[in-house]
Order: sequence, then C-alpha cells, then structure tokens
Amino acid sequence: MKKLISILAILVSFTFTSNSYSKTEIHWWYGNSGFLGDVIIEIANRFNDSQDEYMVIPTGKGSYEDNMAATIAAFRAGDQPHYSQVYDAGAAIMVAQVKNGVVIGFEEMAKKYGIDVDADNYIPGIKNFYADADGKMVGVPFNSSTCLMYANMDILAEVGIEEVPRTYEEFEAIAQKIADAGYIPLLQSHSPWIWTENFFSRHNLLMTDGNNGYDAVPTKTLFAETDEFVMHWSKVKEWYEKGWYGYKGRAWGDNQAPFTNGEAAFWFGSAASFGGMKGVLPNFTTNPILYWDSVTGGKEYPTFIGGAANWILNGHTEEEYKGLAKFIEFMGSPEMDLYYHNMTGYAAVTKGGIELAETINFYRTSPYHKAVGDQLGLEGSTIPGGYRAGNWPQIREVIYENVEPMLNGDISVEKALSNMDKGAEKLLAQFAKTL
Amino acid sequence: MKKVQFKSSYSQYFFLAPQLLILLIFLYWPIIQTFRDAFTIQDAFGFGSYFAGFDNFKFIFTDPSYYTAFKFTIIYSFVITLITGSIGLLLAVQANNVLHGKNVYKTLLIWPYAIAPAVVGVMANYFFSERFGLLYHLFNNLWGFNWYEDVFDAYIYVVIAGSWKQISANFIFFLAGLQAIQKTVIEASIIDCKSNIRRFWTITFPLLMPTTFFLIIINITYAFFDTFGIIDTTTIGAPGSETKTLVYKAYIDGFKGLDLGSAGAQSIMMMLIVLVITIFQFRYIEGKIHYN
Repeated sequence: MKKLISILAILVSFTFTSNSYSKTEIHWWYGNSGFLGDVIIEIANRFNDSQDEYMVIPTGKGSYEDNMAATIAAFRAGDQPHYSQVYDAGAAIMVAQVKNGVVIGFEEMAKKYGIDVDADNYIPGIKNFYADADGKMVGVPFNSSTCLMYANMDILAEVGIEEVPRTYEEFEAIAQKIADAGYIPLLQSHSPWIWTENFFSRHNLLMTDGNNGYDAVPTKTLFAETDEFVMHWSKVKEWYEKGWYGYKGRAWGDNQAPFTNGEAAFWFGSAASFGGMKGVLPNFTTNPILYWDSVTGGKEYPTFIGGAANWILNGHTEEEYKGLAKFIEFMGSPEMDLYYHNMTGYAAVTKGGIELAETINFYRTSPYHKAVGDQLGLEGSTIPGGYRAGNWPQIREVIYENVEPMLNGDISVEKALSNMDKGAEKLLAQFAKTL
Repeated sequence: MKKVQFKSSYSQYFFLAPQLLILLIFLYWPIIQTFRDAFTIQDAFGFGSYFAGFDNFKFIFTDPSYYTAFKFTIIYSFVITLITGSIGLLLAVQANNVLHGKNVYKTLLIWPYAIAPAVVGVMANYFFSERFGLLYHLFNNLWGFNWYEDVFDAYIYVVIAGSWKQISANFIFFLAGLQAIQKTVIEASIIDCKSNIRRFWTITFPLLMPTTFFLIIINITYAFFDTFGIIDTTTIGAPGSETKTLVYKAYIDGFKGLDLGSAGAQSIMMMLIVLVITIFQFRYIEGKIHYN
C-alpha cells in the first residue's frame, strides 16, 4: 500500500511539474497530406520557434473528409482541437455551427477574448466565402485555391497551336488537331467542383435557389433548368465520344497522371497542383479556366474559392485562444502568406501578402502563381462568391454517380442532370430539417 | 457424478463480469447507438436532433442508389461465394492428393489469407490501372475493357480483387475437411467405384457438406462486410454507384456525407438482411446436411 501511494505521489507530482513548465499547447488538425502536409508542419514549427509561450501541435488526419469527420467525432467526444481545417464543401455545415456554440467566429473571437484580430487583413472575395449571412468572417481563410487550366506547351507547339485557348469555343476549334497527333486534348480531375460548381460561378449563373443559399436556405439545385449547364454537359459528352475529352474515373490523380506524363494537352486541376509537375513536365503553363463565349458574351467571371479554411472550435481556455490568436496573426503576416503562396501555389489571402508579392516582383520569377489571383480577382459577378448548401459532400457524390452513366450513354444528359437535382433536393431537405 | 458448485451465488457474476463488460461496451452500446441514430434526424455535430420515426428509412428507400447498392451486394456475395468456394475446393482436393512437397503447396496457398483487404485492393489497382495494369491491357485487347465507365467490367475488377484472398480461406477449410474424412471410408469406396470424379461427388463431397455450409456463410459475410477496404481502394463505387456495397454506402453517407441518421437506418437494414439470409440457410439448407 505504501508503495502504491508513493508511486501515485510521484505520478501526480510529475504531471504537475510537466504542466507548469510546458508551454500552452494549441492543437491544429488538418486534412492535407504529402508535400502540402509538410508545409503545414513547417508553418507550425516556424511559429513555435518565433516565441516561447505557445506551442502549436499540427496533426494530419488524412483527407479533407477524414479531417472533418475526425473533428466532428472529437467534438462529440468532448476532445476537439482548437483549430481545424475544413474544406469548401463543408463551409455551410461549419457556419451553421456558430449558433450551436461549436465554432467561434473569427470576428467574434476578438470580442469574446479581447484579442486584437483583424478581418480586414484578408482580401474581400476570400473573406466573404467563409462569412455568415451578415458578412462577418467565421472561418479563417487558409489554403485558397481555385480550378485552373494547365497547358502542355510542347504539345501545342508540336501541333502548331500558338495561343492557349481562353474559351471552350477556341478549344473546340483545335481539339481535333491535338487528337490527330495522338494526344488527349482535355482531362479534368473533379466533375462536381470544376464542371459543376465552378461552371456556374465562371458563367455568373446561380446554382441553387435562395441566391446560392445566401438569402435563404436552399431547397433545390438548378442543374436541369439551366440551359447553359445542359448545353455544357451535352458538349462534354460529345467531346468524350469524339475522343476530345478523356475520362479516367473519379480519382483525382488518375486524371492528372496522363497530363503529368505528357500525354494530354490540357488538364483542369487546382491552383496548388503544379508542385508535382515541376521537374517532371518540362514546359507547362497555368491559365484561367475556359468559359463559353456564347454564354457570357465574351465576359469573364471569377470562379469560387476552393480549398479550405481553418475554423476555431469552442471549449478551451482563454489562455489557449490568446495563443491561437497569436498564431492566426502570425499566419496572416505578409511574409508567411507569401511563403505559403510560393510553396504551394494556393492564393495569397491577405492584402499584405499581395502587396509584398508586388513589391518584390514575385510573379516575374514565378509565372505559375499568377493565374490563381487573376482569376479570383475578376470582377462583375452578380451572384454571391460562393454557395451555402448543406449536405454538399453528399450532393457531390450524387453528381459523380450521374456523370458516369451519362458519359457511357446509359442515361441522357437531361436525365442525368434531373437525377442530380432530385438527389440534391432530397439532401437539401434533409439538411434543412436539422437547422 | 458429483456437481461442483461455488458456495456464493454471486461469484459466477464476478467471473462473467469482464466478458459481459466487453460485450456491453463493444457490442450492445454501438447497437443501441445505431438504433438511436436511425430514428433521429440530427446535424453533423449532433445538434438539432429530434425523433424522426421512420423518416430515415423513407429517405433511403426513395434513394435509387440504395437499390443499386442492394442489387450489387447480392450479386457480389453470390459470385464471390461461388468463385471462392469452387476454386478453394479444387485447390484443396489437388493439394490433398499431392504426395511430395505437400506442405509447401499448403503454405503458399494459405499465405494470401494473411493480407488485409485494403492491401489486396491496392495490389489489384496495379493490375487494373489504365496506365500500367497487366490485366487491364489484356482484357482491353480482348473486348475493350474499361472499368471507368462499363458496369460489367467494373464488376470483373472488384470480383477478381475480392475473390483472390478469400480463395485461401476456402482452401484451408476444405483441406481440413478433406483430412477429417476417415481413410477407411475412402478406401472402401475405391473398391466399389473406379471413377475418381464419381467417387468425389458421391462420397467425398457429401462428407464435406458441413464445411461447405460453413464456408457459404463465411463467404457471404465476407462479401457483405470485409470487402469494404477492397471497394474503397479500387473502384470507390464507380461507375455511378454500381459497385457500392451496402456497407460502403453506409460508410460514405455516414462518414463522408456526415448523415448519421441515414447511415444508422442503413445499418439496421443490413442487420435485417443478414438475419434473413442466416435464418434461410439454417432452415432450408442445414436440414439437408448430415454432420457425421
């Protein structure tokens, strides 16, 4: 018994001492892996080295979906991290959780903990994507990408094309030439994100009712009733049959691989995709994603912001939130913003970062980085800069499920799009029930 | 015989307690939670939750992809059971007749059983990759195989991936079953009948019925539940939702889609399906089997 007590005493004193001597820990969970995950760890390390009071501990949880599921499970178990990276499709779910006290809005945090954090530090387009109905910033912009078009300049030179196309009409005019030379003219890696959500944003069209969910909880998607969207997929199907568009399944990488290996002329992917291509593909460029001249009348509109934001989760001590605020300030500094932009290709999200890039003439030496800012910075849209639709991860699944039967001819384009609408309508109704 | 009894009437509970506790925590608690989820509608974080009656069940029954998953699961478990059972039996009979190096054959044929389904899926990926897959190109040359868009080709892909490892399990049990058959019976039958094949079907196979019955249940359960990792690492349910098993669909809706109500309802449906299959087997098939 005596022995037991002394062991306990040692254990207790150990935990006490280790607590009183250690720094305040801040847990940050993320859903990037590979190189992008390494950069996140590097950011945390730099912050930890920059001061002595706080320690940010980054933990990778797998993919975006995995991290979101892990964060939710942790919250339900009362063991949530302070800061978690949640992707665009989960934004509606996270914004809706402010009222339940799960998420602390960024601007609210300033008030609640007397911390000096500034939402105006971030560029408006990106800030608004993660804001609530009143325009208050909730999620903290982090890795912000959008879909871009990658072009293999060697293939274009080989078949005698001098200019990279800017519209789908221009693409149609040259596609056969590329196919004749034995290359795949076009590939893309994400049907819901690139050819659904961002089809609507690129052409300034509404995707759901309720003004994309910004004015009212959306009840339906507008896929089948948007003639331009029907036209687009009819064209895609036609290209697929002609061999102008190659479909390599649902996996992102399977669609990217032929492009990286120099077998395809154009590929639609993320602004952060070029890391893996540098050094493999000798001569490629990043370009704004194509648009239908016939739809917009020659005008270009910005695409939605993709990628993810970091969200502040409730249930920790004031001291820890102070540390988190320091970390957010650190990440929002022009130097760190530009560092992240440079390393990953994600857009610079702060005004300071963009100014710094201009001051040092960053884009002259790094041409790959420019397209993302150009495309997101376009003006003139009358639709909101995003969408607020619940159950969106499942709606993406419904979109995927209907694209394949459409391409292989099992169902018509109209039928596929109305199937998507039907599936989405059910899922939106299901989400509305929980509000 | 004298009965051995403990004096205290409580001690049996004491000895049962650890086991009961494990059952309670790891079996009954999740089951109760599943029922709770199935009859509630809630948001991802568990808020806004209210009793919804059969709404979640209505939701899945009006979902066309649920029927697709149901159809696929039935086809998949039937085909996997048939293929793995027959190949496992064939290999077991052959290995049982080998005189030299019997143990080498045995060991090599058992090995795949130790590989996790997800790893099998990743390996199958190499064979069916459009870029460097041996089988992809073989089949593609034969009939234009393309599992990205053709449902039948996708079936072939997941059936091959799913069967390979399970053949080993069937092999082990059939081999054990063959070795349990008394030598005298076999020897007597050799005197009566010269035909190897006929002897097999009239004497050996009927004696293997208990093993076969056991393996049918094992294989169906495998195809239902354990192929999850294989689907997730091969087709991820594509094309459309044609190669989603019921378990995979419940996972996608629950963990990726964050809809626990629908996932809970699907789990209960799965429980019912397994219950029906098992009852059917025990009532109609087991009656025809003679244990010794």
